[in-house]
Amino acid sequence: MIPIQIYEKALLETVKRGATVISDDVREAFEAAILRESNPDAKRGLTATLNSMDLSAKRENPLCVDTGWPIFYFKVGNDCVLEGGFMELENAARRAVAKATERGYLRATMKHPLTGYDPGNNIGMNIPDFTYQFVPGDSIEISYAAKGGGSECFGGTRHRIVAFADGIQGIEKFVIDSFVASARAGAVCPPSVLGIGIGGTANVAANLAKEAACLRTVGSKHPDPTFAKIEEDLYKALNSLGIGILGAGGDTSVLAVHVEYAYTHIAGIACATSTNCMIARRASSRIEADGTVTPMKSPNWFGDR
Amino acid sequence: MAEYHLTGPLTDEDVTQLRVGDIVYITAEVFTCRSRLQKYIFDEKNTLPFSTEGRNILIHNGPIIIRENGKWKLMSFMPTSSIRFEKWGAKSVSEWNLKMIVGKTTMGEETAKMMKEKKCVHVSPRSVSPNLWIDSIEVQDVYLYDELGRIEAAWFFKVKDLGPFVVDIDTEGNNLFDRLDEDIARRKNKALRELGIDPDYRFTKLY
Repeated sequence: MIPIQIYEKALLETVKRGATVISDDVREAFEAAILRESNPDAKRGLTATLNSMDLSAKRENPLCVDTGWPIFYFKVGNDCVLEGGFMELENAARRAVAKATERGYLRATMKHPLTGYDPGNNIGMNIPDFTYQFVPGDSIEISYAAKGGGSECFGGTRHRIVAFADGIQGIEKFVIDSFVASARAGAVCPPSVLGIGIGGTANVAANLAKEAACLRTVGSKHPDPTFAKIEEDLYKALNSLGIGILGAGGDTSVLAVHVEYAYTHIAGIACATSTNCMIARRASSRIEADGTVTPMKSPNWFGDR
Repeated sequence: MAEYHLTGPLTDEDVTQLRVGDIVYITAEVFTCRSRLQKYIFDEKNTLPFSTEGRNILIHNGPIIIRENGKWKLMSFMPTSSIRFEKWGAKSVSEWNLKMIVGKTTMGEETAKMMKEKKCVHVSPRSVSPNLWIDSIEVQDVYLYDELGRIEAAWFFKVKDLGPFVVDIDTEGNNLFDRLDEDIARRKNKALRELGIDPDYRFTKLY
């Protein structure tokens, strides 16, 4: 049985790391973008962003002032036993978010949707959000993702049902139109990690898109060549547009395009997009049944991608 | 495109020389706001509890500030998207006599029109680099903290050579992003054609 104090400490460390330390894969994507950038202003902007992110790790302060919606993903071994059970895991995650807010790793960003009431700790109705995946084994992997307001609020997340008559062309047209509109003036904080969900009901497609944006290793390829080709084609197409960092021009508009899919109804293809901002904040940790905690470089949500 | 290091409070002459694409750095006493403050003043008809005379630069921003040893400590700062505040943009420019708004993205047509009339510019960041900015910012004071909360309160900052920001709306009413839109639209059509998609592609209408 994994004790509460072990997983609560791991949750707080994971939230703090997600808020203050850039992931290795995002860092590599930034370095590659800086190397190939031909627009001097964009190159300067990308370099300044990377320098600031490196300072965040040293200063233990947030990578961006908008610390986003707090979202947890738990990949749980079927035989994993937690002291207090899974309800206590969620309580511990809420306590970790509140503590991270008190310490200034997170901004008190979550508020009541109608009254604007700010609880001051990012805890409220249905927030933080929890998603579970069950796998063989007795360990648990926890991932924390911070979904920024810019990336979520300006049309970076949307869906459309595409007719089978329109197929891949319809999907790609929808994605390109959506991205161009949402990245105008840098609204979704490009260069983005663009997640695309294809199939399922609209909410299934939207969840897949969000997980593809937030949890895939940046730049990884889908193992199915049909979906890998969509990723590659859209990556090239979107990076030919000249949107650049914060929409003011440049060679890199997306750091990566990730597609995930589900089977769908014969009536139509739900297609959803989710952009993650350039910082693409997340962190993961694995807790073994004996209580050993190991930080993970990548969430492992989709296996090796 | 030129680079300017401006000192506040800004004059008409300071801002009318700027053109879209120019880079600016500012040394000035400034204030912050987000939605709640503008709603509180313009929709709920309250009076701004301070004067903007001598403090005519507004930064759209909700900083992270914690209390440490009896002092305010700025943990993080990044201009937020101005376009969300378009509803109050023209009013804030005219009633608060602003000469510059700093924010991510840009403002809409109504605000740009008022900016042209009142001589005001909008500038935006080209990076997400809080740590390159917070050392240039001193937290001076805060207003409406109890009414609006820590993030949406009006913070007074003294900033030193804060930048670089790019001018995206100038006093002639030009918008940098309108110009970029035309280039992006052209490239988009080319990208679609390369994918075998007609730029005038029509979706099968399902709803």
